[in-house]
Amino acid sequence: MSDAPKPDGATVGRFRSVVLPHLDAAYGYARWLTRDPVEAQDVAQEAMLRALRYFHSFRGEEARPWLLRIVRNTWIDLRKRNRAETLPLEVLETHAAEGPDPEQSALAGDRRRQVAAALAALPAEAREVLVLREIEDLSYKHIAAVLDLPIGTIMSRIARAREKLAVELKGRLERSDHGLPDV
Amino acid sequence: MDCPTCETMVDAYVDGELTASESAAFERALEACPECRRRLEAARAMSSLLRELPAEPAPDLLRARIERELRTIAGASRVRFPGAAGMRWGAMAASLLVAVSIGWLGGSLVGQGGRQTDELVAGYIRVAMSEHGVDVASSDRHTVKPWFAGRIDYAPPVHDLTQEGFPLVGGRLDVIDGRKVAVLVYRHNQHRIALTLWPSASSGNSPATVTQRDGFALAEWRHDGFDMHAVADLAPADMKAFATAVDTAVSEDR
Repeated sequence: MSDAPKPDGATVGRFRSVVLPHLDAAYGYARWLTRDPVEAQDVAQEAMLRALRYFHSFRGEEARPWLLRIVRNTWIDLRKRNRAETLPLEVLETHAAEGPDPEQSALAGDRRRQVAAALAALPAEAREVLVLREIEDLSYKHIAAVLDLPIGTIMSRIARAREKLAVELKGRLERSDHGLPDV
Repeated sequence: MDCPTCETMVDAYVDGELTASESAAFERALEACPECRRRLEAARAMSSLLRELPAEPAPDLLRARIERELRTIAGASRVRFPGAAGMRWGAMAASLLVAVSIGWLGGSLVGQGGRQTDELVAGYIRVAMSEHGVDVASSDRHTVKPWFAGRIDYAPPVHDLTQEGFPLVGGRLDVIDGRKVAVLVYRHNQHRIALTLWPSASSGNSPATVTQRDGFALAEWRHDGFDMHAVADLAPADMKAFATAVDTAVSEDR
């Protein structure tokens, strides 16, 4: 991006009113992608700075999907940078399948904790499509823009992801039931 | 509609992504297809479970870090005030906080490097952006002042300035140039003011100089042995009035 114009005060001002209001969404998405609050902050901050650098190419489309796409690309880039070697996402996934720490996620209630843990345990491909749909509340069209995929692919991914979540959650609930002492 | 067709439509139906005629066709097909009804229930259940998950807002520190970067990037260009930025900050902060930090940095504050100012502004952002923003919330100086005892090495002068239009909101600690300092938080209409103050190494008073930066007003002055720094999303004239109110209250207290 060395050919990008350097942002001036007016650009930063416009960026503040157009993009900055979506910081919560950017962090929320990064939180589920990384499953780590510290890493999520780094991703969100780097993504915001990239978004400012790319802001000259922003054409007045919806700002939230535009920003979330940058968050996703930033996450992928930072992961690559942090690994000695570049691995496909599916391989990376098997190395980090822990859910969020219940203490940190401040989730009230055991069911929510189980749901969050089940979502966190899904492969990235299933996880992110559910986060974009249910937590960020994006339409298929906007999810397609974030992931740079056809809408038909989004539709089938969401269907598969919900099935995976149901299986994962069922497994967890059964395990936790077995873990309860008989009264 | 055969079942494989109807099966592919279940999730799009749940997500409201079908057209009206597609939805109607799907609903008709559903009556004849128990398996798809089961799928529909399952998809709805997963959807509503995920939507129950509480949102985790961006941490204040992240906000402050980004804010600092934005100010650095915009730094070269001149500041507009009171402009759109001021309005926005006003809307974000439930109230206007004046944070006064009291610290150990002697000497002239004016002309000191941008880093200290950055830290003051970052501190202000923490005050303005978070719901609480203060470590001790009280409009009673007899609650706020003792709270600092044992937390920092000096006793900041604390006054409620409600009569002057700047009610005391509370106090907090911050770190400026590696030193722990006291911050007093005030309110003016919908704005917050952060007043950071510390014992001065110089004697004599110096009047408040108000500068503007990225939609903030910054005031620096020395009064009665304290170096004072105030940051707020205020108009410069209001910031000046705030400084005067602080000085008057401190002098009267002697």
